[in-house]
Amino acid sequence: MNISGILVIVSPQQVESMVDHLNGMNGIDVHHIEAATGRIVITQEAETIKDEVDGLKRIRALPGIILAEMSYHNFEDDSELLDAIPAELDDDNIPAYLNE
Amino acid sequence: MDVTRREFIKTSAAAATATAAGITIPVTALAQSKEAESGVQWDKAVCRFCGTGCGIMVATKEGRIVATKGDPDAPVNKGLNCIKGYFNGKIIYGKDRLTQPLMRMTDGQFDKQGKFQAVSWERAFDEMEKQFKKTYQEMGPHGVAIFGSGQYTIPEGYVSAKLMKAGFRSNNIDPNARHCMASAVVGFIQTFGIDEPAGNYDDIEHTDTVVTWGANMAECHPILWARVSDRRLSNDNVKLVNLTTISNQTSDIADTEIIFKPGTDLAIQNYLLREIVKRDAVNHDFVKKHCVFATGPYDIGYGMRATSKYAFDAEKDIQAKELKVTLDKDEAIAQRRKAGEVVEQKNTKKPVAHWMISFDDFKKGVEPYTLDFVAQLSKGDPDEDLESYKGKLKELADLYVDQNRKVVSFWTMGFNQHYRGSWVNEQNYAIHLLLGKQCMPGNGAFSLTGQPSACGTAREVGTFAHRLPADLVVFNPKHRAFSENIWKLPANTLNPKVGSHITKIMRDLEDGSVKWAWVQVNNPFQATANANHWLKAARKADNFLVVSDPYPTVSAKVADVILPTAMIFEKWGLYGNAERRTQAWRQQVAPPGEAMGDVWQGLEFAKRFKLKEVWGEQQVPGLQAEGFEDGRLPSVLAEAEKMGYSPDDTLYDVLFANADNRKVKWPDNSVSKGHANHIADKLGDGWFPEKALFNEYRQFGVGHAHDLAEFDVYYRDDVRGLKWPVVDGKETQWRFNEKYDSYCKKGSGFDFYGKALKALPGGDLDKVTNKEKTSLAGKAKIFFRPYAAPPEQPDDNYDLWFSTGRVLEHWHTGTMTRRVPELHRAVPTAQLFMNPADAEARGIQRNDVVWIESRRGKVKALVETQGRNRPAKGYTFAAFFDEGVFVNKVCLDVTCPMSKEEDFKKAAIKVYKA
Repeated sequence: MNISGILVIVSPQQVESMVDHLNGMNGIDVHHIEAATGRIVITQEAETIKDEVDGLKRIRALPGIILAEMSYHNFEDDSELLDAIPAELDDDNIPAYLNE
Repeated sequence: MDVTRREFIKTSAAAATATAAGITIPVTALAQSKEAESGVQWDKAVCRFCGTGCGIMVATKEGRIVATKGDPDAPVNKGLNCIKGYFNGKIIYGKDRLTQPLMRMTDGQFDKQGKFQAVSWERAFDEMEKQFKKTYQEMGPHGVAIFGSGQYTIPEGYVSAKLMKAGFRSNNIDPNARHCMASAVVGFIQTFGIDEPAGNYDDIEHTDTVVTWGANMAECHPILWARVSDRRLSNDNVKLVNLTTISNQTSDIADTEIIFKPGTDLAIQNYLLREIVKRDAVNHDFVKKHCVFATGPYDIGYGMRATSKYAFDAEKDIQAKELKVTLDKDEAIAQRRKAGEVVEQKNTKKPVAHWMISFDDFKKGVEPYTLDFVAQLSKGDPDEDLESYKGKLKELADLYVDQNRKVVSFWTMGFNQHYRGSWVNEQNYAIHLLLGKQCMPGNGAFSLTGQPSACGTAREVGTFAHRLPADLVVFNPKHRAFSENIWKLPANTLNPKVGSHITKIMRDLEDGSVKWAWVQVNNPFQATANANHWLKAARKADNFLVVSDPYPTVSAKVADVILPTAMIFEKWGLYGNAERRTQAWRQQVAPPGEAMGDVWQGLEFAKRFKLKEVWGEQQVPGLQAEGFEDGRLPSVLAEAEKMGYSPDDTLYDVLFANADNRKVKWPDNSVSKGHANHIADKLGDGWFPEKALFNEYRQFGVGHAHDLAEFDVYYRDDVRGLKWPVVDGKETQWRFNEKYDSYCKKGSGFDFYGKALKALPGGDLDKVTNKEKTSLAGKAKIFFRPYAAPPEQPDDNYDLWFSTGRVLEHWHTGTMTRRVPELHRAVPTAQLFMNPADAEARGIQRNDVVWIESRRGKVKALVETQGRNRPAKGYTFAAFFDEGVFVNKVCLDVTCPMSKEEDFKKAAIKVYKA
C-alpha cells in the first residue's frame, strides 16, 4: 500500500469541476482547496507504486491541469515489487553477471 | 496497514503537501499529521539526482529510511519532487547492493583472468597499492588516473583531487562531468573569465520569455519545468519557445516549437545576431561599456585521435576529418570560403586561442546568415513547410529583440554535447550581451547542469585534468604557488602539465599510456561514447582497474577490484547545484555490510604512500614549463624536510590528517545533532574529515569571488543552501550586476570581473594582426563563431540521425534508478524512438526488436513509434540508462575540441529488423 500527497494546480475557474472530477477517481481524496489560486491538495492511495505513478499520469492528462506533482511519499515494504527489478541485477552477494 | 494508520498517513501526506504549496490548513489537521509521524526522525537533505538541486526531507526510523518528501522550505523546489526525486529513499535498498570488496582471483592470488571473490578491505588495498606502485615506478605520475565525478560530494572530490594532484603529482583526474558541462565551462571562462551562471532559478518567475535550446527540461529538469509551466500558464504574456532536433515533452506546453537539423543551432544563433544588428536592437550603451568582440580559428578538428591506428576500419573515414575537412556548400557560405575547399585542421592543438575584433568585423561575420540561408540549412523536419519554418525563426528574433520583453535562454546537453559545444555556449551569451539582456532578474543566458554537484564539486573543487579549486588552473605558475601555499606543499610539487581528459583516459588505457585507473562515483564504461574500444581496453592484460560503486555496474564488470561504496544518505556531504547553491546533509543511516564512503577510501589509500615514494624526481613526458626541466618534475623532498615533514610521513598525515585538520574534532554535537559519521568513526583518530577538509577548501575562494560560508552554516536549520559568493553571510543573487554583487566596482553598473583570459591580441575575422595584448578587465566577450557541419552525417549506408539522452524516470546509466522497482517497471528498457514512416519503410512495426548499427558497433532495442519523443523523418533517439541497450557502443567519440566534451547527439546509424 502506497500513499502519496499530490499538489494539483488548475485555473481558479476550474477548481470546482476539477474537485468533482478528482473525487470521482479511485483511491483519491481531496483534502485542501485554495480556490483563489487554483491549488488542490489530494492524496492518492494505490496497491502498487506502478498504479500510483500511472494515477499521477492520469491526473496530468486531465484537461485544464497546469501542474500535478508529488510532494510526499510514504512507502511500506512491498516484497512483491522487488521481483520487478531487471533480471540481470537480481542476484545475491557476488552477481553471476560480474563473472560472465 | 489498518484503517486508522492509513488515515493518519493520508492526513500527514496532505498536510505536508499543503504546507509545501503554501496553503493554510486547519490546526487540527496539522496536529494529526504530527501524531502520524511520531517515532520518525526528519532531517533536511538534497536530492541525489540531477543538477537542479531540490531540497528533500528524509525520515528515518530504527536505522532505515521510511519516507521522503519535498522540502517546503527549499527555495529550489518549494516542496515538490519529480518522480525520480520521489524515490530517493529507495535507491539505497536495491537487492544487489555490494557489501564487501571483490577481487578477481585464482587460487588465492590476484588474477586478471580470475573470478570475483570476496576479500577484506586490507587485501583489496594491498593489491591496489602493489599495482599502483608498479605502474608509478615504471611510468611516473602520468601512468595512473582517476575517473572522477559530478556526483562526488564536495569533500569526496576534494580528497581525490588533492591526493592525485598534491600527493601523486598527477593531473590525470577527470570527471564524468566532462561529458555533461565542459562546453558550458569553456563558454563561461571565454566569455566572462569566471565559471558558472550569473543568474539563478528566480529568473523563471521574473521573466516573460523562456527559450530552451537543446534542453528537454520537461523530462530532464522537471521541477524547474514545473516552475516554468506555472509561470507560463498563470500569465498569458509569457511565451515559451523550444528549439530541439526531436519533438519532445518540453514542446507540449511551448508556444512555438522549432525543429532544427543537428549542428545548425550555430547558424540559427548567427541569424539572431544578424537580426539584432540589422534591426538596430543592439544595446550600444551596454556593449560599449561592458563588452568587446572576439573570434578564433575555425580549423580546430573534432577532438578525435589524430591517428587511425586504433580505429576500426569502418571508422576511418570519419577519423580522417580530424586532419582534413572538405567544406560543404553551407559551410562555404557560413565561413566565407569556397565549397569543396579542403581545409587542413591546423589548430587542433590550440582551439581555445582567440583575439579581439572590431564591431565592423563582427557584422561582416554574421552577414551571410540571412533568413533564407539559415532557414533552408536548419529546417529539421522534412515535412515542415519552409515558409512556416521561416515564420518561426522570425518570431524567435522578434521575442529576443523586443525591448519590453525579458528573456531567459536555458540549455543543457543539446548544446554541451556538441562538436562545437563551446561555440554554441558562447553564442548564447553573445545574443544576450548584444541585447544587454544579461545578469538581471528575468534576463540572462542560463546554462543548466545535469549532475547534482557538477558545479559544486567537479567545477568548484576542480576535479578536472587542468583545474585546481576556485577556477585556478595547473598551467598557471601563480595559481600553483597559491595552491601550494594553502596546501602547505613545497614549491613545484604541483605538476604544470594538463592531464588526460576523461575520453583521453579511455584512449590512454587503450594505447598503454595509462595502466592503473580508479573509477569513483560514476560508470564511465557505460557512459563514454564508442564503448567497444574502452571495454576491450579495460581488460587488457597490463591494465589494472579499480571501481568503487554501491552496485555492480558495467564498469564494475570490467574491473579487477570492486570496492563497495556508501551512498548519499549513508554519509555526510555537500553538493553545489546549477544556480551556485551549496547545500548539505548529514548521515541518516549506516551503510550496509562493509560498504564505506569514498572519502574514507581515498584517505585509507593515502595512508599507504610515504612522501619519499611520490615526492622524489618524476618523469613526465611532454612537460614543458617555466622553472621546470623538460619532461621532469623536481624532487621536493629536501624542501619538504625544511618544512618539517619527514620522508617517511604518509600522504594521509601530510595532506589530510595534519595538525590543523586534527583540531577539527569528531564528535561535534553542535552540528551532528545526534547523527553518526561512519567515516570519522572508522578512522577513529578523533577528527571530522568532511568538516576539516571543507573549511580548508573554502580558503581557495574566500576573497576571490568564490566565497563559500563555513561548514556549520550549511547545516543550520534555517539555511537551505546558499548561492556563492557568500559575502558577509549574504548570498549573491545575480552576479556581475552591481545592484546584487558586492564584487562589482562601485559605479560600474555591471562588472565582468572574472580574471581569466582578459588580455588579448587584436585581429580580423581570419587572423591575429596585432600580437600586442590589450587588457579587457571588467568586460565580457561577444564571440563570432561560424557554422561548421557535423563530422558524421547520415549517408546512403547509415541513413538516420541518432541521438541519446535521458528519460524522466531514469538517471544516467540507471545504476540507482533501475534498482527502484517502481521506476524500472515504469520504463523497463530503452526504446528506439523513430518516425512511423521510417519504421514502415524498413518493414518495422512498433515493439519490433531491431538492430541499431553505426560504424562503431550495434545494439538491439525495441522500437517505439508513438509516445513522448516524436522524431521527424530521418531522426531517432534512445536513452542511455539501460545497459541492456548499450547505446554508447553506437555513439561517436567526437568531442568539442575546446572543451573535450563528447557529442552524444549526432551519430549516423542504420536500423533493421533483428
